[in-house]
Amino acid sequence: MLKDKRVRPSRRSFLAGTGAVAAGITVLPRFAVGAEEPKLNFYNWDTYIGETTLDDFKDATGIAVKMDLFADNDELFAKLKEGNPGYDLIVPTNDYVQRMIAAEMLDALDHSAIPNFKSNVAAQFQEANFDPGRKFSMPYMWGTIGIGYRKSKMDGVPDSWKWLYDSDKYSGKIAILSGKAAIESALKYLGHSLNADDPATIKQAEQLVIRQKPHIKVFAADNGQDLLLSGEVDITMEWNGDVLQVMEEDDDIGYVVPKEGGELWQDCLCIPKGAPHPENAHKFINYILDAEAGAAIADFIQYATPNAAAAKLMSEEYRSNPAIFPPEAVIAKCEPSVYQGAKRARLMDEAWTRIQAA
Amino acid sequence: MSTTSAGLESRRRTKAGIGPLDYSRRLWIRLVLIGTFLFLYAPIVTLIAFSFNDSRRNIVWRGFTMKYYEKALNNDGLIEAFVNSLTIAFVSTIVSVILGAMVAILLWRFRFPGQAPYEGTVMLPIVIPEICMGVAMLAFFARIGWPAGLPWPLNLGSIIIAHISFSFPFVAVVVRARLAGFNRELEEAARDLGASQWQTFRDVMIPYMRPGLVAGGLLAFTLSLDDFVITFFTSGPDTVTFPVKVYSMVRFSVTPEVNAASTVLIIVTVLLTAIALWLQNRTQPKDM
Amino acid sequence: METWRRNPLVFWIFLVPPTIWLAAFFLVPLGLIWVFSFGEKRGLVDIEITWSLANYVRALEPLYLQIIAKSLWMAGLTTAICLVVAFPVVFAISFAPPRWKPILLLLVILPFWTNLLIRTYALIAVLRTRGYINFTLEWFWDGGNQILTAVGLGDLQLLGASFQPLQLLYNNTAVVFGLVYVHLPFMVLPLYASMERLDKSMIEASLDLGASQARTFFSVVAPLAKPGIVSGLIITFIPAMGSFLTPNLLGGTDSQMIANVIERQFKSANDWPFGAALSFLLMYATFGALAMRSLLARGSPGTEHGA
Repeated sequence: MLKDKRVRPSRRSFLAGTGAVAAGITVLPRFAVGAEEPKLNFYNWDTYIGETTLDDFKDATGIAVKMDLFADNDELFAKLKEGNPGYDLIVPTNDYVQRMIAAEMLDALDHSAIPNFKSNVAAQFQEANFDPGRKFSMPYMWGTIGIGYRKSKMDGVPDSWKWLYDSDKYSGKIAILSGKAAIESALKYLGHSLNADDPATIKQAEQLVIRQKPHIKVFAADNGQDLLLSGEVDITMEWNGDVLQVMEEDDDIGYVVPKEGGELWQDCLCIPKGAPHPENAHKFINYILDAEAGAAIADFIQYATPNAAAAKLMSEEYRSNPAIFPPEAVIAKCEPSVYQGAKRARLMDEAWTRIQAA
Repeated sequence: MSTTSAGLESRRRTKAGIGPLDYSRRLWIRLVLIGTFLFLYAPIVTLIAFSFNDSRRNIVWRGFTMKYYEKALNNDGLIEAFVNSLTIAFVSTIVSVILGAMVAILLWRFRFPGQAPYEGTVMLPIVIPEICMGVAMLAFFARIGWPAGLPWPLNLGSIIIAHISFSFPFVAVVVRARLAGFNRELEEAARDLGASQWQTFRDVMIPYMRPGLVAGGLLAFTLSLDDFVITFFTSGPDTVTFPVKVYSMVRFSVTPEVNAASTVLIIVTVLLTAIALWLQNRTQPKDM
Repeated sequence: METWRRNPLVFWIFLVPPTIWLAAFFLVPLGLIWVFSFGEKRGLVDIEITWSLANYVRALEPLYLQIIAKSLWMAGLTTAICLVVAFPVVFAISFAPPRWKPILLLLVILPFWTNLLIRTYALIAVLRTRGYINFTLEWFWDGGNQILTAVGLGDLQLLGASFQPLQLLYNNTAVVFGLVYVHLPFMVLPLYASMERLDKSMIEASLDLGASQARTFFSVVAPLAKPGIVSGLIITFIPAMGSFLTPNLLGGTDSQMIANVIERQFKSANDWPFGAALSFLLMYATFGALAMRSLLARGSPGTEHGA
C-alpha cells in the first residue's frame, strides 16, 4: 500500500484508534495483523439492509456493525476522494465502482474469504464488465430505472419514454429525475445507447428535453415516488425500488420499464482503501451473500437480489413481480451506465445546465 | 388571538391612550407579527402532526400512533447524532461569540493599515458557497493528517473547528451592528471616573453589547445545529450529526420517524433554552 | 474610531486570536481550493495546477453569467422581502415589555433549530397541490358554493365548475418563498441587535415636534437602525445567493441557481477546478464590494460607524 503514491495520508494515519489497525500507513499485509477488534463501519444507503441483519451478524460473529448512511453516489465519491475517514464497507453503484477502481480508491477483495460468492451468486453476476474478474466488488442488489405511474390517470400502461419526453398528454403532471438520468433516458427514447458520448447525439437529447420542458412539472431530486404518491404528478421517472415502496401504500401506482429500455444498475459491496477492519468486512460480505441472510434482506427491502440461493428461498410473489424482475425481453433492451471519462461528464453537465437555464 | 378581538382591544386601548411608542400594541404591527408566526410555524406544526402518522410515508394520513417516537428513541444512531449535534453547536457557539465579538470590537474601535481588506477577508466565510467550504475542509483535514479515532468528544474537533470558522464572522457582523450605536462618551465617562480599561470594558462595553452577543450567539447556534454540507465533508463514521443523519434518511422519503426525532429535538432545545433563560433571569433580573 | 497606535496592547489582544483562527482554519483550507481553480483535471482524482485561467474563462461564458444574474435577482428579491417582513417584527419585539423580549425573539428563531431539509419538506406539505393551503381554500370554495346554491345561484358556477388548486410549488415563486422562509433569522437578528435599546427619547422628540409617525420612521428610526439593516442585507443576501437545496426541492424546471451548478461540479460532474473557479468568481465579486463599501464608509467622516 505504501508504494502506491496515490494513497493520500488518510485521517486515520496519524493516530489510529485504540487497538485499531493503522490501515493507512501499515506496511503489514492485511491478514497478517491477526485479530481485528470486533467492529465494522458500514457506509450504506438508507433502508437498504434487512431489519435484523446487523444484529444477526453480531450474534453469529460478535462483530458490531455500525451503519452510517449516504444519500448518493456523488457524495460518496467526493467524500472518499481525499482519503478514507474510517469506513470498512461501502455500497457504490456499478459506474461508481468503475470510477473508484480507476481512481484506485478500492482494495482488492480476497475471494477465498468469500466462499458464498462462488456458491450462491447467480451465473450472470459472477462477472462484471465494470470490474473484470470481480476483483473489487461483490453484487448486492440490482434493478432498473423506469416509469412509475398512477394507473387511474393513464390510458393503459405507459410503456414508452414517449409519455415523459415527447407528448403533451400528461402535461403538467410529469416528473423526470434530474441530472444525468434525464438525458440518458432521453437518449434511450431517441434510440441511442444511454452511454452515447458523441456531442451531437447528446445535443439531440438536450433539445428533446428542452422542447418538452413546458409539459414537465418538476425535475425530481430522487423523490419522484413521493410526488406520485401525493398526487403532485401522475407519471415519473424513478428507480424501481423507490416506486415499489409506494406501491405498497397505494394500489393505484404501477411501475414499468419502457419498451425502449432503461438503465440497468447494480449496487456493489466494496472495501475502500484504508479500511481499518478489512477482515471483518470480508466476513460481512460473505454473510450477506449467504442464502438465508440474503433472503432476509431481499424480503425487507424488496429489491432484486443477485443471490440465486437467496432468491430460491423467497416467495413466488417476489420472484414473479415484474417490477422487481422485468421480463427478459425488456432487460435485453436495458444497459448499464458506463463511466467514460471527464470529457463526457463535462458534456453531460453542460447539457444539463443548459436544459435548466433554457 | 383572533383578528377581531385584537382590533377591539386596540381600539379600546386607543381610547385609554396607546402611547405613541407602544408599537407592540398597535394593530397592524400585531397583525404582521401574527402573520409571520403563522408563516414560520405552519410547516413546524405540520411536521409535528405527521410524526404521529401511522404510515411509512408523510403524505397520506393513516391514523394516530406513537410508534415512531419509540422507534426514534430506540435508534441509537439517531440519539448519538443528537448528542453530537448539540455538543458541537454548544462549543462552537461559545467560541464563535468570543471570536466574533473580538473582530467586531477590533473593526469598530481601531483604524489600522489594511483595514478594508482585513474586513473583506473576515467576511469570506459568509461569502463562500457551502459546498466549496466543505470540500476545502475535507481536503484540509485529509492533508494535514488530522487525528481520527479519538475518544468522544475529541473526535468532534474537526467539525467544531469548521463550524466555528463559518459562524464567527456572522457573529462579528451582528455585534458590529450593535456597536455602531454605542455612545463612546459613556466609555470616556467611565474612564474619567477612574475605571481601568478592563473595568470599562467589562462594566460598560459588555453590557451594551449584550443584545448583539445574544443575537449573534443565537445565529451561530442556529447555523451550527442546521449545517449539513460542511459537516458532511468533515464527519467520519463516529461523528455523524443530526442533519447528516437526517439528510441521508430523508433523501428517499420523509418517514414519520424523522419527524418524531425532529420533534424531540425541538422539545429538547426549547427546554435547554428555557432553562438558560431562567438562569439568566435569575442572575440578572433587570433586563435580558 | 482611534488609530491602533494609541492603544497597541488592546489592539493586539483583539487582533491576534481571531486572525490566527481565520488564517489557520479558514484561509489555509481555502487556499487549497483556490489553487485548484487554476488547475486542470488529470484523471478522476488528480488535479494538476497549471495556473491557467481556463476555468475562469469558462465561468464567464454567457450560460453561467445568465444563471448568476438570475441568482442575483432571486437572492435580491428574497432579501427585500425579508427586510420588509423582519422590520415590523423586530420593531414589535424591541418595543415589547422587557419580560417578553427574549421569549418573542426565541419564538422567531425556534423554527430554525429544526433541520433545514425537514423544514423544507414540511413546507412542501403545506404548499403542494394536495397541501394545507389548498385544502383550506377548497373548504372555503365548497362553503361559498353551498351558500350560492342556498340563495339559488348554484347553477351559475360563479366560482368555476370545480375547485382549481393553486400551483404553489415547483416554480420560481416557490423558491423565493422558501428562501425567505429559510433566511428570515439572518435579517431578524442583526436588526434586533441594533434596534434593541434604540434611544426612544429621539423618537419621542420627533413626535413631540410634530413629525408624523411615517416621517419619524424614515428620518429618525431608519437612520438609527441603518447599521443593523446593512448587516442584515449582507448576511441575508450572500447566503441566499449560495442556496442550492431550496431551488432543488421547491423549484420548477428552470429554477436552478448558481450554487446548484457549483454543487454539481463538486459532485456529479466531478470537476473541482471549475467548481472552485465559479465559487471564487462569486467571492472575488463580493469581497470587492465589501471592501469597497468599507473604504467608502471610512472615507466620509459622517458615516464612520457604518456596519
